[in-house]
Parts: sequence; structure tokens; C-alpha cells
Amino acid sequence: MLRSGQIGVGVLVGLLLVLPLVLTPNLMNAAIKMMIAGLFALSFSLAMGQAGMLSFGHSAYYGLGAFATLHLMRAVEGSLVSWPTPLLPLAGAAAGFLCGVAFGWLATQRTGVYFAMVTLALAELLFTLAPTWNSVFGGEAGISTMRMNSWSINFASDTAVYYLTFAWVAVSTWCLWAFTRTPMGRLALAIRDNEHRVRFLGFNTHRAKTLIFATSTMFTGVAGALLAIANEATNYTIFSAQASANVVLQTFIGGAGTFFGPALGAAIMTFFARMTSDLTRSWLLYQGLIFVIVMLFVPDGIGGLISAHARRLGTTAVRHLILPYLLCGVVGALLAVGVVFTVESVHVVMSDAYLVLRRANEGALVPYPLFGRTFNPLSAWTWAIPVVSILAGAALLPLARRLAQRGWSQALQERAA
Amino acid sequence: MEFFVVSLLNGVIHGLLLFMVSAGLTLIFGMMGVLNFAHAWFYMLGAYVGFTLTRTVGFWAGLIAAPLIVGLCGVLIERYMLRRVHRYGHTHELLLTFGLAFIIEEVIKLFYGDFPVNYAMPPYMKFAAFTLYETNYPFYRLFIGGVALVMFAVLYVLLTRTRVGIIVRAATYRPVMVEALGHNLPLVFMSVFATGAALAGLAGAVAGAFFPTHPNMAVDFGTLVFVVVVVGGLGSLEGALVASLMIGLFISFSAGLNWSLADLLTVVGLGGWAREVGGLLTLQLSTVAASMPFLLMLLVLLIRPAGLFGERQ
Repeated sequence: MLRSGQIGVGVLVGLLLVLPLVLTPNLMNAAIKMMIAGLFALSFSLAMGQAGMLSFGHSAYYGLGAFATLHLMRAVEGSLVSWPTPLLPLAGAAAGFLCGVAFGWLATQRTGVYFAMVTLALAELLFTLAPTWNSVFGGEAGISTMRMNSWSINFASDTAVYYLTFAWVAVSTWCLWAFTRTPMGRLALAIRDNEHRVRFLGFNTHRAKTLIFATSTMFTGVAGALLAIANEATNYTIFSAQASANVVLQTFIGGAGTFFGPALGAAIMTFFARMTSDLTRSWLLYQGLIFVIVMLFVPDGIGGLISAHARRLGTTAVRHLILPYLLCGVVGALLAVGVVFTVESVHVVMSDAYLVLRRANEGALVPYPLFGRTFNPLSAWTWAIPVVSILAGAALLPLARRLAQRGWSQALQERAA
Repeated sequence: MEFFVVSLLNGVIHGLLLFMVSAGLTLIFGMMGVLNFAHAWFYMLGAYVGFTLTRTVGFWAGLIAAPLIVGLCGVLIERYMLRRVHRYGHTHELLLTFGLAFIIEEVIKLFYGDFPVNYAMPPYMKFAAFTLYETNYPFYRLFIGGVALVMFAVLYVLLTRTRVGIIVRAATYRPVMVEALGHNLPLVFMSVFATGAALAGLAGAVAGAFFPTHPNMAVDFGTLVFVVVVVGGLGSLEGALVASLMIGLFISFSAGLNWSLADLLTVVGLGGWAREVGGLLTLQLSTVAASMPFLLMLLVLLIRPAGLFGERQ
């Protein structure tokens, strides 16, 4: 019998296979970046979620994978070696694994915050060295190259890159999932829960942790390699602490406790960033707000939320939750409208363009344009929009919570009966 | 000689500034175990509050109000956010502060724009303290160093000579016992967090008037403060001071020296080979000055993870 998880994976794979037929080039590119981000987050969460090693420097292996691949691509371009394009990520995997063994051997001597600090220091070392080390990292400009055609596939097209990325992400994801089923994968969980006891049982935990870390960085290297193939260029900023932090952020939004959660979080946040960065300059603020809200109210992340519903509720019991969740959606939308309207208004009113406009009108607070309309900053109606929507949202919030709780208990009762 | 004296002075001042920012972090970290990622962003917030108040009320009012306002932000963040996620573990606390750092930076960009603002000291403080090798040494640099030293002295006396200090130090080691003795532990935590934030805010208000105040000033300090805390030892004020001075001097001296690994290898007769190999071996110290603090942090973590002054817990 097929379980719902397997059906879900099957549907996802099928969807991703036919997706290029309907996507615009811009969305195709977004889909490629989402898959890469998903793999990055999955490989990170092997170290974080499975073995409990919070790495704050995973961008190091991401970047090294990308640079290794670009160097190989340059060698192929210069006819120094011959290497088929579809197998380029192997270079990233090798770079990620080797550096993972070396750096991981150092870092896994420490645990907890100290481990995070060692990984951070290693990544920051690379970040500060790379712009000055021209021969390897191409200075501040970085290095770039071209994809070569091979196996009679034309890699100039985005579709080819899409399928190449998809194939590697799918195989890597399967490997990562399979790894959790191996004795080594079980050992990772045991180390996370009680390292002392594992050591007492006679395991060499340092060696095991190094190997788990290196496995994680190997797939991070693959993700970096795929990015290099898609972009055909990279520079030292790929090593930044920001990049390392991003993957931590995405993993926790998705849910570090579940297998697919991190990939989901990464895909959603990458898509969100891509869509909103074109629309507003304050998108990082929204991203930060979403992150803080998830940390405060959904500590298990989106994946944790989904798996809690799937695990504890039957499909029929969900009907008790439809109405409460609709109300929750309305509350969320009201609050979002209020916040977005306020932020965007501030953004327009504080901008230089508005200042020029005010000067032209002798300092008067003239109406400002927003969302294709104009608003008068002195009018009560303008102020009413955010105030009313936030107040309404805040007033409905307790009701929504109560209804959701009641729905949950009803659903659980029905399940039990 | 001129290089030596100027580098020494600049290094010490830079180190003292670093100490002002990281003193609060080491207290928070040592006591609550919270790796407050947003700490450098409190520093930036202080600078912007100082800038705003200088324009409206005056420089000194800004200097006094900035730590109070930033401290108040610290209270709110600790009370309504950190305390909430405390039960999910330190990772969640770290990530929460990380998200807050994002928000602080973006809100500042929203109101002040993504470019430096003109936050300047009052004109009567703009004079040379003394002349050094025909260059005037600004008085304000000494002022920054002086504020840092006063801050160290006050904190040191507070922690080691007063009742409050005893409770705070005891709460670092035996929080449960302190609570059992009837002290309000959550209040102690909140005060330490707020004080730490306020100190960073003060540092921002003082230093922002001399160094450029711009939305990236937090990122520049962001990871460096962790280096100070780790090298000095978690929770150790003296450690933070020594580590800050070390890193300040390290940066200011290495920025002016053209040594490379190849020069070092010349001593053992391998200089020619090293220059042929190139790459990492011929990189000059001045170009990799930014990497040095992280190398130091790595070495400390691997050799003596408790830091210079920290105690093994």
C-alpha cells in the first residue's frame, strides 16, 4: 500500500518534470534557484536536524563547490581536460567532501555554540581571504565561464539547465533520505540526543561526526556546483555570513525537525525573495518579520506544522478545522494589509522623491502615490486603513485562536472515537 | 617609529571601541547563554538615536538618551520575545535575535535611507588633543577611549564590589540556586540583557559621531564582536577588554605591514621557492588584515575553547 508521503513525493516529481512546459523564462530561473536552495537546506539540515550540529558557516562549502566547478568548467572551455557538463557537480561534491573532512575534523572537536563558532570562523576566513586571493577566487570580481554542450544536449537553453538541476537535486535528495536510514544515519540521531552515551557504547563519535559533517558538506558542494552551472559565474560574496545565515533561516522556517521541511522553507523563501524584491525595496524587512513570527509562534516551522496535522488528524477530521483556519487566514491578511500599508507609506514619504515634491509645494504634506493611487497624509481616511485593519486583526485574533483550539480538540475526539 | 606610535594609538582606541560594543554581549552570553546576534545592531541603533536627537535636542541629550532607548528596546525584546522561545533552546534564541537584526537594519534603512547620515560631534569637541609627527591627533578619539575606560571601571566595580554584582555573578553559575534563594531570576536576566543593549547603544552614540554612521556599520562589527567574546572567554569582562585591545592592535598593525609567509620562509632559506609557488604564500599581511581576527578566534577555539580569561564550565 502506498502511504500518503510516497504519493506526495510522486506528485511533486511529476509536477517538477512537466513544469518547464508552462513556465516563463523568469519563472524557470526562479524554479532552478528554488531547487538549488532546497538541496542546500536539505544538506545543511543533515548536520543540523539529524546530528544536532548547528553550522554557521555552510556557505563555505557552498562557495567552494561553486568555485571548484567553475574551475573545472574553465579547464573544459580551454580544452585542458574533457569532462561532460552533466557530471560537473561531481567536482563540487569532491570539493565539498574534502573540505568538509578537513574543516569538520577541526570543528567537530567542539560542540554546541563552540562548534557554531568554529564553522563561522572558517567561513569568515574564506570570506575575507577570497577577495585578495586572485589566482583561486578571482579577486573581488570573481570568475566566470561558459557552459559547454555535451552528450548532444544544448546547455545554452534554460530548459536543459532545469532538467540537469532537477536530476541532481532528485538524486541527491534520495541519497540524503537514504542516508537517514543507514546505521550511520541512525547514529547521527543518537549523537544528537546523547553523545556521551554513544561514546560509552564504544563508538568513535568524533570520527562519526566528521563523516556526517562531510556528507552534509558534500551535498552542499553539489548545490554550489549547480548554482555555478546555472549562473556561469560567482564571486567571494558567496562565502558571506549572510549566505550561511540564510540557509539556517530557511531551514528553521521550513522546520528543522522534519526531513522535507527545510527544502520547503528554502523553496518558499527563495520564491518569496524573488517575487517581492521586484515589487518593494523593503522585502528584507518582510522577510525578517516572517522569520521572527515563525520563530515566536511556529517554533517547529512549516514542515512541523504540516506533519503534526498529518500525524495526528485523519482526513475526515480536518473538516472541523476549515472554518477556524479560514478565520486565521482573514486575521493574517488584515494584519498584513496594515503592516504593508504602513511600511510602504513610510517608504514613500521618507524617500528623496517625496522630499523634492514637498519642496516644490513649500513644505506642505502633499498626497503621495502608492499602489497606483494617491493618498493624502493628512486625511483621516489614509490613517484609517492601517489602523482599522490592524485593530480588526488584533480583535479577531483571540477568537480565531479559540476556534482553532476547539476545532483541534473536536478533530482529535473524532479520531479517538 | 611614527608608524609604531600611530598604529599603537589607533589600535588601542579601536580596541576600546570594540570593547564598548562587546562588553554587553559577553555579559549576556556568559549569563544567559544567549548568543545575541543582534548585538552589533543595537550599536547601530544607538548611533541613529544619537543622530536623531543631536539634530533635535542636542548632542549630550542624545548621548544620555541613546543608551536608555536602546536599553528599553532590550527590555521589550527580552520580555516579550526571548523569554517566549527560551524553552525551545539556545538555537531558537540565537535565530530569533538574528531575525531581529534583520528588522532593525531594514527599519533604519526605511527611515534614514540606505546611505550614510551626517552625524557629527559638536564643533567645540573638534580639536586636536596633541600633535604627533606633524599630524594632529583628534581629541574625540581620546574621548571614545575615555568613555570605554570609564565604562569598564563602572562595570567592574558593579560586578565585583556590589550586592547586585554578586547576584548577577551567582546567577551565571548557579541560576537555580539563586532563584531558590528568593531572587527574581527573570528580572535579573532582563536587566542584564537591557544593560548589555544599553552599553552597545552608548557605544553607537559615542562612536557614530566620529566614525561614519551608515546602515552597514552593524555588519562590519557583527562577527567581530563574537571574536572578542570567544577570545576573551564567555562572560569575562577583563577577557573582553584584553581581547578587544589585542584585536584592535592586531588590525591596526597588520594593516600597515607588508610581511608575507614567503618572508618568513626566507629565514629558513625557502623564500625563493615560496615566491615561485605564489598564491597564499605571497599574500601580504596588509591585504589579509581582515582575516586575522578570525584566525585568532579559530586558534583559541581549537586550543583553549574557554578563551583567555574564561573558566571551563
